[in-house]
Amino acid sequence: MSKLSQKKRMKLNPILPLVMILSGIVFFLYSSEEQSASPPGLHRYLPEDSEIGEWKKDGSPQEYKGEDLFLYINGGAEIYHEYGFSQVIIQDYINENKKSISLEIFEMSGNDSAYGIYTFKTSPEERELTLGNQGQLADYYLNFWEGNFLITITGFGEDLETIKGLQVIARAVDEKIESKGEKPLLTSLLPRKGLKKLSVKYFKGNLGLYNTYQFFSEDVFALQEGIKGEYKDGHTVFIIEYKDSDECQERFNKTKESFRGSPRYKNYTSMAEPLFQVDDTRKDQLVFVSAFKNYLLIIAGTTSLARAEKILMDIKRNL
Amino acid sequence: MAEKIGRREFVKRSAKIGISAAIGSSFYQLVNNTVYVYGKEKVDIAVVSGSDYLNNTIKAVELLGGIEKFVPKKSSVAILPNTQSRHPGTYTEPEIVRAVIRMCKKAGAKEMNCLSWLTRKHWEDSGLKQAVEEEDAHLKLIDREDESLYKPVPIPKGKALKEAKIMKEFYANDVFIDMPITKDHAGNKFTGTMKNLMGLNFSVNNRTFHKEGWKTERSAIEHLDQCIADLNTIIKPALCVVDATEFITTNGPFGPGKLAKPQKIVAGIDRVAIDAYCATLWGLRPEDIIMIDRGFEHKLGEIDLKKLKIKEIIT
Repeated sequence: MSKLSQKKRMKLNPILPLVMILSGIVFFLYSSEEQSASPPGLHRYLPEDSEIGEWKKDGSPQEYKGEDLFLYINGGAEIYHEYGFSQVIIQDYINENKKSISLEIFEMSGNDSAYGIYTFKTSPEERELTLGNQGQLADYYLNFWEGNFLITITGFGEDLETIKGLQVIARAVDEKIESKGEKPLLTSLLPRKGLKKLSVKYFKGNLGLYNTYQFFSEDVFALQEGIKGEYKDGHTVFIIEYKDSDECQERFNKTKESFRGSPRYKNYTSMAEPLFQVDDTRKDQLVFVSAFKNYLLIIAGTTSLARAEKILMDIKRNL
Repeated sequence: MAEKIGRREFVKRSAKIGISAAIGSSFYQLVNNTVYVYGKEKVDIAVVSGSDYLNNTIKAVELLGGIEKFVPKKSSVAILPNTQSRHPGTYTEPEIVRAVIRMCKKAGAKEMNCLSWLTRKHWEDSGLKQAVEEEDAHLKLIDREDESLYKPVPIPKGKALKEAKIMKEFYANDVFIDMPITKDHAGNKFTGTMKNLMGLNFSVNNRTFHKEGWKTERSAIEHLDQCIADLNTIIKPALCVVDATEFITTNGPFGPGKLAKPQKIVAGIDRVAIDAYCATLWGLRPEDIIMIDRGFEHKLGEIDLKKLKIKEIIT
């Protein structure tokens, strides 16, 4: 190697580290800018003032994670935890007429959890909205679910201006959530004919079921996953899923004993196994319970065994 | 409802209290040899319906005999409204609290103290802070995380709960007025006078009413309701004034949820009876609410509404 080349190399060498350092700085700054452009965590789903017309953020958001949900909603936290709660962010919005709206974005542990808590919080009387995967509007609030998220938006008035504001904010949130998610498979097992679509409730524990139909205060069904649908002719179907048919059969036998032993349920009658019938004296209606594969099937409110057997056949066709 | 007494009883009572006093306090009517007594009848539950919540609250307490029956002169009064959430139908209406504070003042109470382990923001958001301050009552906010501010209280009759931790500030008062809003509760379907007492109990202790890890276990609902009934055996309100004006019947206790609007103020001293009555306002059966049933088992009051004198007026 010539002495000149060595000299040239020595001149270049000090520049090279400098170039590397400068490159590193530029890269760092660029990354930081990218990160700060996208707010952290749930903040990224909060609509900005520029996205929601006349509505503006009012104050800073609140956030709660895990067990701390209790600090926000006290005993109301339990049902969220049953479904699988991760965290929530709450942000208020206000307009120039001082109308106020509160946005809550609940991140749940999965699509099924978000769907489940959505069905828990909504009622058949509400109006359907095209939002997320499903949305419903009540007198002064709305709910929709999308991906792992349940979104609840509450107005502090039932006036048109507030109701419109709920929907403006809802659409802005909807646009920010990318993953759609799927309903749990269990929902497809309810027979479609005559089903009141908005009556469907998905459960992940006894508390959810108890709030819909108080069979027992104890968790007699050892419920991990279940579904309920109401039908136009007045009957209701419950489908509870177990890990396998052995577990289901075991649970069927225990359930049978609970119904037989309860003073509320009278006239226990066993049909061709596995099927039995009782009178629910509290609700003044018949209840039929059957087991099929890894599913416990309950029909409430139908008027005869023949009718119940027909409904059970319809359900079994889907299983 | 008028009380029916026989002629002999009429004579006996008149002789005892003097004819003029008898005529002054009650109106007696003789019909078919039966004397009907109107006026100062014993009322178990007073219910006043209408949109003027402030004045209806005053009327409800008058039906029970007036505030002076419950609040002695120069007493310190602890008041416990519910201000858990700011969603409509989830907190005690400020006008009802305002009315109770005014009545206490009129009775000659030394001071009125609204107690809470919730935050100032809760009280501001519900409008209750403003009402309390405007009526010259005190808002006593107790740190929910500071155990030193709570007094351990054994519960000898407790079946699920053996010890409560009640805010020490509560015991600095002579009289206690319980002022819940009745509403749905996802944990056990109903909340009213008995459940409201959790607002005096240390929040960490309250969490034990719910099973560990928030897992809904086999007996979780019964456990919660038994704990609430047990808690009620160590605290007795002098008076309950319940907001049953507008309340949520779904998604309780926090909301938002479907609103029922019966516009009723419900007052009395029997917690079981009042909760039993309030449960019927949205179609629940008192005997189906475990907490009410367990309160009855503890002999805290009467669950059978047919055995109670319920006086209702519509304004």
